[in-house]
Amino acid sequence: MSLTGIISVVLTASNLGRKFGSRWVFRHVAFEVGLGDVLVVLGRNGSGKSTLLRLLSGLLSPSEGSVGRPRGAHHRVLGYVGLDLALYPNLTAREHLEIASELRGVPPRAETLLERVGLSAAADRLTGEYSTGMRARLKLALAIQPEPAILLLDEPTASLDDAGREIVRSVIDEQTGRGCVIIATNDAHDRRYATHELTIDG
Amino acid sequence: MAEIWTVFRKEWRGEMRSRHGIFTAGLFSLLAVVAIAFASYGQKPSGTILAGMLCITLLFASVMALPRTFLVEDEQGTFDLLRLISEPQPVFVGKTLYNLTQMLVTGFVLAILLIGFAGLQVTVVWLYILALVAECMALAGAVSLCGALAIGAANRWILAAVLSVPLLLPQVAMGVGAFRAALGEGTIAGGTQNVLGLLGFGVAALALGPVLAASVWKTE
Repeated sequence: MSLTGIISVVLTASNLGRKFGSRWVFRHVAFEVGLGDVLVVLGRNGSGKSTLLRLLSGLLSPSEGSVGRPRGAHHRVLGYVGLDLALYPNLTAREHLEIASELRGVPPRAETLLERVGLSAAADRLTGEYSTGMRARLKLALAIQPEPAILLLDEPTASLDDAGREIVRSVIDEQTGRGCVIIATNDAHDRRYATHELTIDG
Repeated sequence: MAEIWTVFRKEWRGEMRSRHGIFTAGLFSLLAVVAIAFASYGQKPSGTILAGMLCITLLFASVMALPRTFLVEDEQGTFDLLRLISEPQPVFVGKTLYNLTQMLVTGFVLAILLIGFAGLQVTVVWLYILALVAECMALAGAVSLCGALAIGAANRWILAAVLSVPLLLPQVAMGVGAFRAALGEGTIAGGTQNVLGLLGFGVAALALGPVLAASVWKTE
């Protein structure tokens, strides 16, 4: 794996490795990501891109190495959008944002966020009735709600239309002003956001 | 405290829309009472038998409905979302309080149905009510601990079932003792001791469960 460029640090990965059973998905991953950086993680299917993002988010423990994040409660410092992340099918988008804000202890900004991701008209519909693209938009809104220092995006444009992709682009632009973005992707178009690239070859 | 209330409201709102837990517990309770009423038709079952039946019905109603509060988060994939937006402690307490509420509703409905349809005669009313509240607290605490421990495990339902045996068995035994006394077939002192044991377990589960949740659901 390779990483180009060096930055002022927001997040560090030191000698990171993860194995499932006896099989190592990857080992010896090390990088630093700083303010304004967009790190795009590339690699074939099964190379461990999503696993790396889950490690960086804290949802998964590393088998070796460590992740350094800014001080503070992780649910206010970090925003994560993952394909495997699910929403409550019996709650509306507005309720998701309200509950998340109360648990995170941040202002809800529900109207602003829903408008930002183009879900204002569907704000009071149960997310069980949402399309995949609409769910992806709501996950993005939840991720940026606390205005996190670190935004982790796993295949952020995979299920989005052109308008949705434009929203992702503007979110990334905004995020670089307050922290960093790490994107795991197979989509060559997403490379245009990169200030740095990391290729995992599994 | 606000976070606990938020989790409680989330659970309640979800339940009101799906009605899975209430439906499961309610239907099971109704079937149990009908079965007991048929089995004891024309006879007068002893207080001990009725106390045992009440506890077993409460036990199965709780085992069927309550761990779902935790395990469904894992099954529908929302456990990660919850870990990303919240600390584990308020999640555990909020869900346990929700479980307790559901258990109390089920318990009181069941207790009234048994009085109405199965000839259950209460001798010491205050002890009966206290025993019901204490049994519900202990069962809600025990199944919440099972759910919290099993969440994230590969065979979560099996693990929850295995854990529930040692955690729930003492609560059933103490419950039978307390209800027997309330139905006039044991000493009030013995019944009160059992009630205190159940309350102690319920409070301990609520107090120590958050510590357990914090270590089991650790976010790095």
